[in-house]
Amino acid sequence: MSEKFVRAISADEIASGGMKSVEIDGKEIVVCNCGGTFHAVQRRCGHMNAPLEMGTLDGKYLTCPMHCAQFDVESGHAISGPVPPDFGGEIPPPVFGEYLQNVGMLMTHVRTESIRTYVTKLEDGWALVAL
Amino acid sequence: MNGKSRKIALHYFFEKVVRPLGFKFTPDAELMDFLLEQEVVLEGKHGVPFCPCQPLRHDRTRDMRIVCPCIPFHRKHFDAIKRCWCGLFVHTDVLDPDTLPQLSPKEAGLE
Repeated sequence: MSEKFVRAISADEIASGGMKSVEIDGKEIVVCNCGGTFHAVQRRCGHMNAPLEMGTLDGKYLTCPMHCAQFDVESGHAISGPVPPDFGGEIPPPVFGEYLQNVGMLMTHVRTESIRTYVTKLEDGWALVAL
Repeated sequence: MNGKSRKIALHYFFEKVVRPLGFKFTPDAELMDFLLEQEVVLEGKHGVPFCPCQPLRHDRTRDMRIVCPCIPFHRKHFDAIKRCWCGLFVHTDVLDPDTLPQLSPKEAGLE
């Protein structure tokens, strides 16, 4: 089956190392400019659904803004789970501490899944994404 | 989680840190692969890629000093032996890492 490429975003709208989210046919996609090579991935983090375009892109590695889970935007592989919280020597206030304990307990059951990637190509100054 | 991809990612991130410090990855590819693999395992367990060759003491201040690449925390020692403790990184001028002995700070004359 041939892939149907659709215009996602004008290539010059994303600086090198940048990302932008677009919505095509109800699909939320983040287009990443990895030093001139474009990749497209699902917008939602494979850990807890945070919007990935608000994170950071270093080379082809995307770090989620919420818990710093990392993904390879070329393959979509989850390469690192959430960074464990650490307050150093400080003890959080009792109620907040209890809340953190509960959240921490829940978080241990949350897996970080790989994210979906979309075939991407550049044509006439546009980043095209295959849906 | 994909361990193989993580290994490649750690290589990418570490390279950026150690180069300005005058270090590079060991030319011994097998050793490098093995050590990075161990760090991926440690990161999966603790959330942080600790040095695979130094003991965890469960004391945050001390443990943070062995998060790879731990060169800035042991600069004097590693500069004296031209490698990091586990040998993942060596000075940029080192061509044969096997010639570098693994000396403790005391053996290297630093204590």
